[in-house]
Amino acid sequence: MYGSGNNQVVALDGIDLTVGKGEFVAVMGASGSGKSTLLHILGSVDKPTSGRVIIDGTDLSELNQTQAAIFRRRKVGLVYQFYNLIPTITVQKNILMPLVLDKKKPNKEYFDKIVGSLGLADRLEALPNQLSGGQQQRVAIARSLIYRPALLLADEPTGNLDQKNSGEIIDMLKLSNRNLEQTIVLITHDEKVALEADRIITIEDGHVISDERRR
Amino acid sequence: MWKDDSSAMSVRIAALISALLLSLLLGLFYNAWKYEIERIKEEEGDWQSRIAGEFGQEEIEVIKNFANVKEAQTFETMVEIYFDDMRAVLGDTPRIAEALGVSSQKVFYNHELLAMYMIRDPGDTAPRLLFPMFLLIVSIASLSLIIIIHNSFAVSMNARIHQLGILSSVGATPKQIRSSLLQEAAVLCILPVLTGNLLGILISMGLIRMSNDLLGSGVPGRHEAIFGYHPLVLAGTLLLTAVTVWISAWMPARKLSRLTPLEAIRGCRAPRAGLFAQNTGELQLNRKKKSPLLACFFGMEGELAGNALKAQKRALRTASLSLILSFFAFSIMQSFFALSQISTRETYFERYQGVWDLMVTLKDTDVDSFGETEKIREIPGIRSAIVYQRAMAKRILTEDELSREMKSFGGLAAAGDRYVTKTEEGWLVNAPIVILDDVSFLAYCEQIGITPALDGAVIWNQIRDVTNPDFRHPRYVPYVKEEEAIGILGVSNGSVEIPVLSYTEKVPALREEYAKLDYYELVHFVPVSLWMEIKGQVGGSEEDTCICMLGRENATIEDLSALQEQVDSLIAGSYQTESENRIRELEVNDKQIQGMMTIFGGFCVLLAVIGIGNVFSNTLGFVHQRKREFARYMSVGMTPGEIRKMFCVEALALAGRPILIALPPAIVLVGFMLKASYVEAGTFLAEVPVIPILIFLLAIWGTVALAYYLGWRNIRRIDLAEVLRDDTMM
Repeated sequence: MYGSGNNQVVALDGIDLTVGKGEFVAVMGASGSGKSTLLHILGSVDKPTSGRVIIDGTDLSELNQTQAAIFRRRKVGLVYQFYNLIPTITVQKNILMPLVLDKKKPNKEYFDKIVGSLGLADRLEALPNQLSGGQQQRVAIARSLIYRPALLLADEPTGNLDQKNSGEIIDMLKLSNRNLEQTIVLITHDEKVALEADRIITIEDGHVISDERRR
Repeated sequence: MWKDDSSAMSVRIAALISALLLSLLLGLFYNAWKYEIERIKEEEGDWQSRIAGEFGQEEIEVIKNFANVKEAQTFETMVEIYFDDMRAVLGDTPRIAEALGVSSQKVFYNHELLAMYMIRDPGDTAPRLLFPMFLLIVSIASLSLIIIIHNSFAVSMNARIHQLGILSSVGATPKQIRSSLLQEAAVLCILPVLTGNLLGILISMGLIRMSNDLLGSGVPGRHEAIFGYHPLVLAGTLLLTAVTVWISAWMPARKLSRLTPLEAIRGCRAPRAGLFAQNTGELQLNRKKKSPLLACFFGMEGELAGNALKAQKRALRTASLSLILSFFAFSIMQSFFALSQISTRETYFERYQGVWDLMVTLKDTDVDSFGETEKIREIPGIRSAIVYQRAMAKRILTEDELSREMKSFGGLAAAGDRYVTKTEEGWLVNAPIVILDDVSFLAYCEQIGITPALDGAVIWNQIRDVTNPDFRHPRYVPYVKEEEAIGILGVSNGSVEIPVLSYTEKVPALREEYAKLDYYELVHFVPVSLWMEIKGQVGGSEEDTCICMLGRENATIEDLSALQEQVDSLIAGSYQTESENRIRELEVNDKQIQGMMTIFGGFCVLLAVIGIGNVFSNTLGFVHQRKREFARYMSVGMTPGEIRKMFCVEALALAGRPILIALPPAIVLVGFMLKASYVEAGTFLAEVPVIPILIFLLAIWGTVALAYYLGWRNIRRIDLAEVLRDDTMM
């Protein structure tokens, strides 16, 4: 719920949704339908006014700021339309950031595998702003996968990319879903992108209006 | 539109600091100028030009009838002319001279005074730097202020880049956007500029007062500065501040107004970050940087902090530079004054303790014509009083006369021809004569262990080892062989033989230094009764006679002041005197050093304030400049605690670096000063002004910490969801 008094906006209302492990779900909706709010709530960036959100056994509504940050770090990988990479450190450090913050040693094999499959192996020492948009988005995906999160949340990941790069990014998400059994919630308003998912949920004015399982 | 408190506040602070500094500078300059004019008028007179010659009333009338002449009056064999419009002086005075039939050679100008009004005669070659220096300082100040504060405006304006894009998309021209930005800047700055001006005036008033208190008292003949202000100075300051602030606002405004609507609306969201990121003021690096030290000590947060600092390098350049400079200057200044205090104490006050408490100089008086010696000795509380005068003679020294030690470092052949002249018989050296009153001379004879007598001279037979450069700890060796019983003193027109009573290493307790400049002088002490016999042949006595007095032991300043008054009342009527008091001199010296330190320290603080102002204007702009950056950290899962740590590391590095950079050169420089002054390291280390330097350091750190705390408080409040939503919903 946003704003106050007459300006109050109910972004999400009575949503009851379960996403199973290993599912690839696309959430569709027009601008202002509440899909971004849903993603923020799932990513523990925002808190619901009422109701509960449970991810991997953790009730997000009970977390304080620090707990929410650590939860984001370990359990959620966030991919945004505008990549949100840290501009002052290299690609490699960006990818490893969640692990480094936890003072954990990266698994070299896993890191190489991700970096290799995303085609970033030769750009590890570059700064984000030296990469193309598609490359930056791949770095963001690598970063979100590095901790093997319970949930990968992608918010219009292709919104800022051309056709070719879009296709590649979606393929990579699909790949991680297949190969790593990665649970993915993808938010988009692009039907073509949504059609790649196992399940499409459509939201309008804060309500789920359809939930279609395709496979 | 400038609703946001922090960036508006940063702009206000920037405007306030600029106005304050400029107003202070102009206020001080005006007073320096006014002081100079008063001093010149007192010393030279306030006439503007003079024509030499004897003039009668009729000619004076001729002069007065010149259109621009305000006043003309005769002074000795000159006429002094005053003009209504001072600028006419260079043109009119030669014409007046011509009308009087006097050659232009007899025209003189008060160049020093005229230069104060920027009237320069091409014939006057003296540099007269007050105005050029002033213009230089003011332009440097204005330029550096522009460099500092334009960043505040840039951050503040960048915060509204999105709105500007909208404005521009509905058809506002760049000019309209620019003028709207500038108008708002003006509204925002009016109050701080006025306040800053007022504060600047008050501070300069305080500084003038302080400099009078610190430097003025106790220094005879110093002209007292009285604070003054002029409406024109105020107008000038306001104009200068307005121009400075306007340029600072205009620079970012111009840049922003030239963006296309799309660039402005999309701001940082373009795929190629380079150009656009600059527009949002977001931190960016163009090349990979490493912060190994910070990363090593503080982990990821350290590395992020280090890189963030590197990305802000330009914005923080002034801060780093002025903090480095201020700390460097402050520690050097403290060490320098500590050293000079030690040095003065060792070479002057400690050395003369037990030599003199009161010194009276009798102007234009010969020692043999002073008859009040006994009366002075009778004043209760006077332990001793020596009346003496110096005279200068020459003496021939032959190679044979020189001591073995003296010969060992080259003898007089090594002396050079500045003070020593080679003649056929030997070398002509300076032989200063110190004429003591008879009683003191007899006492001196007893002191050095010879039979008191008044019919000869005592020779101070010491010469410095010239091969040892340490002036603080000189080594002395005997100058001549102690054989000759007759000394021949001479001047150009003759010579006189005087018996030598003794050669000695000891000198009488006088406030005199021997062989200070001329290491090769041979000092003779003679009683006044002998002097009266020989002065006809020798002559060369100095104009003044001195009385060197000791009060009772451990005399206080009150004791000495009382004695000083008694002595003055005894002799002041019949002689023109100048009297000094050792303890008061020490106090005046200390006070002057303190005064200088306060003034220099003030400049260091001012420099630090500029740096700190820059830090503040930067951190207060954080919310806009860095909220996206912080949102990113948070979205990757950095906890508020970790972000705070990063912030602390950043502040620590920003405040610590100037110290780390400034300290080694400061230490090296102090080392050099120690070496050059021959003060022993131990003595200096015992008195190193650690506490003031530490206080200065902590003050810098404290204020940087405060700036970062305020920045953190602002950024902590940002709502991650909102920033990210802003990002995704665009």
